[in-house]
Amino acid sequence: MTALLAIISIAASIFWIVVPEPLGLVEAADPSGQVDTLFRFLAVVGSFIMVYVAGYIIYFTIAFRRPKNAPANHIGVQIHDAPILEFWWTVVPTVLVAGLAIASVQILSTINNTEGDVLTMEAIGYQFGFSFRYPKIANPIPDEMHVPVNTPITVHVTSRDVIHGFWVPEVRLKADMVPGLINTIRFTPTRIGTYRIICTEYCGALHGKMAAKLVIDSQQDFAKWYNAQGGNGTTGGTGGNAGGVAVALQGGNVQAGQALFGQKCSACHSVGPFTQKIVGPGLGHIFDDTTHPKLVSGDDPTPQNVAKILKNGYQGDIGVMPSSQANAINNTDIANLVAYLVSLSKH
Amino acid sequence: MAVASTTTTVAPHAVLDHIHPEPTSFIRKYIFSIDHKVIGVQYMITGMIFFVFAGLLAELIRVQLMHNDGRFVSPETYNQIYSMHGSAMVWMVIIPLVTGGFGNFVMPLQIGARDVAFPWLNLAAFWMFPVAGLLLFASFAVGAPDAGWTEYPPVSLQGPAGTSLWCIAIFLIGISSTLTGINFIVTIVKMRAPGMTFTRMPLFVWAQLATAGLSMIATTALAAALLALFLERTFGIPFYDPRHGGSPILWQHMFWFYSHPAVYIMILPAFGIISEVLPTFARKPIFGYKMIAFSSISIALLGFMVWAHHMFTSGLVPWLQLPFMIMTMIVAIPTGIKIFSWMATLWGGSIELSPAMLFAIGFLITFTFGGVTGVFLSAVPVDLHAHGTYFVVAHFHYVLYGGSVFGIFSGIYYWWPKMTGRLMSETLGKWHFWVTFVAFNCTFLPMHWLGLEGMPRRVGIYADTHDAVFWNQVASISSFFLAAATLLLFANMIYSFTKGKKAGPNPWGARTLEWMIPSPPPYYNFKKIPAVLAAPYDFGNPLPYIGLERVPGAEGPAVTRTPAPAPAT
Repeated sequence: MTALLAIISIAASIFWIVVPEPLGLVEAADPSGQVDTLFRFLAVVGSFIMVYVAGYIIYFTIAFRRPKNAPANHIGVQIHDAPILEFWWTVVPTVLVAGLAIASVQILSTINNTEGDVLTMEAIGYQFGFSFRYPKIANPIPDEMHVPVNTPITVHVTSRDVIHGFWVPEVRLKADMVPGLINTIRFTPTRIGTYRIICTEYCGALHGKMAAKLVIDSQQDFAKWYNAQGGNGTTGGTGGNAGGVAVALQGGNVQAGQALFGQKCSACHSVGPFTQKIVGPGLGHIFDDTTHPKLVSGDDPTPQNVAKILKNGYQGDIGVMPSSQANAINNTDIANLVAYLVSLSKH
Repeated sequence: MAVASTTTTVAPHAVLDHIHPEPTSFIRKYIFSIDHKVIGVQYMITGMIFFVFAGLLAELIRVQLMHNDGRFVSPETYNQIYSMHGSAMVWMVIIPLVTGGFGNFVMPLQIGARDVAFPWLNLAAFWMFPVAGLLLFASFAVGAPDAGWTEYPPVSLQGPAGTSLWCIAIFLIGISSTLTGINFIVTIVKMRAPGMTFTRMPLFVWAQLATAGLSMIATTALAAALLALFLERTFGIPFYDPRHGGSPILWQHMFWFYSHPAVYIMILPAFGIISEVLPTFARKPIFGYKMIAFSSISIALLGFMVWAHHMFTSGLVPWLQLPFMIMTMIVAIPTGIKIFSWMATLWGGSIELSPAMLFAIGFLITFTFGGVTGVFLSAVPVDLHAHGTYFVVAHFHYVLYGGSVFGIFSGIYYWWPKMTGRLMSETLGKWHFWVTFVAFNCTFLPMHWLGLEGMPRRVGIYADTHDAVFWNQVASISSFFLAAATLLLFANMIYSFTKGKKAGPNPWGARTLEWMIPSPPPYYNFKKIPAVLAAPYDFGNPLPYIGLERVPGAEGPAVTRTPAPAPAT
């Protein structure tokens, strides 16, 4: 019996190891191969467990059936435990679980690896669609996300209204798009093609229809597309529609900035960490939080870039930041506010 | 203290012989009864009625999904249907059946008590249940909740008016569940018959003890979350809406801090049922009694430390994913110990394949499968792919239908003669099992690859990629057989009432205390409270009870030892 079950489970394991697409999906981006490997490992271990458990249960049930003519007082073997057996069926699962945990942690650390990002972009969910923002492209692009092949991509996802999900099955990655929160997924596309982006959190009546296209282009095709959308062909760097006159920040007054922050900013921004949102994010650690995402303009959080947003305002999917004119502040005020924010970030 | 210590001696105690008179009016006897057995049966009937409605909703879901273009009902209606199916199955069917139903009827009998510790509290807890159930289903009149049984805000803040009714109904059933938890803990700790030490309790009682602890502690978190959702919907107090400073993630933490333990509230009593049925029909002591009891408690404790594994995609910081992933994987170890112990209980048995036993054996196979896919989902990289897909739907139906509902079916076949005094038809019961088992697997197995290949949950319209329509049709047609199989159970109940043979006190030759008294048990359960000398599963030994009133037929066949069969290879 044990041998028969061994043959079945080994056959199942060989199937899971050699099958080209264990999830029935192509691998279109970098972490998908690792996820598939982990899945194969789980499927092999799971096959052994299922085959042995189900096999022995069925075998015991048939082999130890009460004989037809058994007397009414026919009973089974009166044993209560078998310490050696119990020791092993505790230790073996523990070892398997430890192995699984280690493998998962390793894969997770590569998924969360931030090194070598080339394209950083945003995906915004709304009822019922997706739009995508690229550096240096002024307007968000609906329904179609283009990425260049063999290029590490970072996607910050968020939502304009309720929680949505961002899932590309062929990439094997998923993040919830939560209003007021920015989640991040990173991948490197490896296979040119068009894939589906699917919403995986219930978001309203038409949730089932909420989808978009992920187009993995060759690098040349991506550059062509990017230029056609109004980008200038190089990714990253400074830009967005917050570009404009630089503001002289020297000599900003912290106290004056604090007073002004109370009047002009605190209705929408807290001085807590980024995640402590009111309408906009908390600004207390805008310059010293190493995990701080890019500014709303797509720029790195530096004093000069913050000053640019204060000066010119910003209008996008995540929200609206009124300009200096709308807020009735001048360049000196901006310098004072930035000085105040810099002082906060030193605590 | 010297006086109290006398109750711990093994001799039956004269004080325990006082019996309260039975109420005479119909209302006090059958409607507002404080008898745990009547309340247990009331839970069973009410739960089974809601089971029928929730099952019909499931069939509507399956009809819609036979085609991918949403031609059967509108998206709005579809969303209400599956949300109500989930809510009703969790809160109005499985939890009330396994705790209020089986727990109330069986547990006090098994510990040799005349009732639970707080019978009036029990009455109050029961009547909250039909009220909550009716409120929940009444929400269809004003637009039922549509955001799934999890009702994540902010979308649930936009939901129809019935979402607020949902909050009230679930709040109410939550209070009922908490009260039952308190009641059961006190009953089990304080009211066991003399000599029934913790290590002599039937395993069903251990399971109810672990479950009661979970209900008592976890449900309060749900109550707070529901209250906040209700206040936000009604008065606009911003707990969850980020536009006004709330946090949608807060709901997820509060909800899953309850709802993960709730999974164990639904499955631990089923474990308890299996642990009674297997030894009885294998005529063997349960293998590894202490390890099974210990693993129930450790699963209950671990259950509080894994809630955020439902939130791996929600934006947990990576370092927080790790402890939740590892704790979740650890749950597999005590669960595995249980499965292996049940397998070992079958080995060398004298196995009688009654319907209760068939469902228990079916449970072992389907629940193990659900457990294995649960480990898949615990690994964060796999969960990032499978979260929110039909893979998850398949997984939890293997656990909740292949686990809890199979356990409930097994328990119904096992304790039906005790509840009604009549036997069911074995033939009909076996048909019920085989059709259910095959149809169940054909319904939910394809959902695994549907999900992995790209079908998300909670959609009435879906893309026909990877033969999605074909596999959904397989699932739908199988689900119609699954529903039809359940009709066999109801037919069997009717058969039993009309033509069923008298069961006698102990039709299965079982050894726990509930089988030592007539069927159905008298109002007072035990004329004399027995004293307990040993654990109940030693079929080779004389019954471990003294001081029981002798009921003809209760002791089962006289025992003789059979030689051990050759070990399996």
